[in-house]
Amino acid sequence: MITVVSGILVGALFGFSLQRGRFCMNSAFRDIIVGRDFNLVKAVGVALLVETLGFSIMAMTGVIKMAPPALMWGAEGVGGLLFGMGMVLAGGCASGITYRAGEGLVGAFSAIVGFSLFALTTSAGVLSPVANFLKTNTKISAADGSPLTLGNIFGINANVVGLVLSVVIIAVWVVLALRKRTEEEPGEKPKSIWEAIFKKGWSWPAAGIAVGLVGVLAFPLSAATGRNYPLGITAGWNNIWQTLFVPGTVMNWGGALIIGIVLGSLVGAAIAGELALRAPAPKVLVQAFIGGSLMGFGATVAGGCNVGHVLSGVPQLSIGSMFDTFMIIAGCWIMAYFLFIRPMNAAR
Amino acid sequence: MSDQTPTKTIDECGKICPYPDVDTMTTLKKMKKGEILEVLIDYPLSVERIPRNAKRNGHKILKVERVEGPTHRILIEVLGLK
Repeated sequence: MITVVSGILVGALFGFSLQRGRFCMNSAFRDIIVGRDFNLVKAVGVALLVETLGFSIMAMTGVIKMAPPALMWGAEGVGGLLFGMGMVLAGGCASGITYRAGEGLVGAFSAIVGFSLFALTTSAGVLSPVANFLKTNTKISAADGSPLTLGNIFGINANVVGLVLSVVIIAVWVVLALRKRTEEEPGEKPKSIWEAIFKKGWSWPAAGIAVGLVGVLAFPLSAATGRNYPLGITAGWNNIWQTLFVPGTVMNWGGALIIGIVLGSLVGAAIAGELALRAPAPKVLVQAFIGGSLMGFGATVAGGCNVGHVLSGVPQLSIGSMFDTFMIIAGCWIMAYFLFIRPMNAAR
Repeated sequence: MSDQTPTKTIDECGKICPYPDVDTMTTLKKMKKGEILEVLIDYPLSVERIPRNAKRNGHKILKVERVEGPTHRILIEVLGLK
């Protein structure tokens, strides 16, 4: 019971932050080359810095025990690439399609169905031998058998590396930002704090800090229920379907987190007047389904989606998660080139 | 304010990310200086991103107004360099 309540509460904060901050890694990575908009990738950067700082402090003080994902180059290479390509087709990353389902976007529902179908068959069904083969045969660990991190590949304490790295990057970023404060956001300024939080979309620093803090909060709360890991999406969706259709399955923290994300986003969208059922053309629903399927397969093969690896593994300085992130971006850019950039250039 | 009758209207309601942005950018490219593009849209991320990008590309945002629920109407005057 406490597991479910804790998961839903953290999920609700996560979903609310994602919805208000328009936080989506598909947009973040894709916008770098499509439209050259850097707002969301900066939000992702801020979130990762907040988490790296928070995780390393919590690990040093014994609040959490780090659980960085292992480097499995074949699994993360193939899985990350397919996930990155899939999210462009689906119109959102794993957390993106989850929070947009809460906003009432039918395209996101379609992507989630494909995502779940392939995540389930790859983790436990007919496709699981593929995932297992790649995971077991391409694993590289540190000399003591532990997962490779930015700490142990240099033989230094990962927590110290995380702390120093995040503090230095934050300091440099803040100094640079203070030097050139010319960027004015278009649109009117919010008239009150209420309006800034609940009515207007958040700025990228606010979105990044909020998502990062949710990640920091998630780690110890999840660990307290026996799941020693911060945020994640893929296993949570699997758990939801299994709870519904497989007798004897109990909802875990990850499943409750998903329910919380959808609820938090729904509430955020409702207050802002952004909640409504809206559907794209049938062709796009099929495209979103295919994209979701690639994401479900990719995330399961890689052992995590953009949340499990990018948002949760990278701040633990996992080399595997960093490699997965690299491959997700590569897949995203390849697909975005063919789907958007080439047609846009042709229209000139 | 001068005449704000749109030269062209595109309906991007219901579309998934980032089709509203891509359609807007492509349409703006094909339009002439001084013409006005009206974008109808209900995807919150793009309601904020389209004006931001159009402005950066040198166009003028005449209006971003809520029609109903998540649906917004964006008016862009084409000014950007071809």
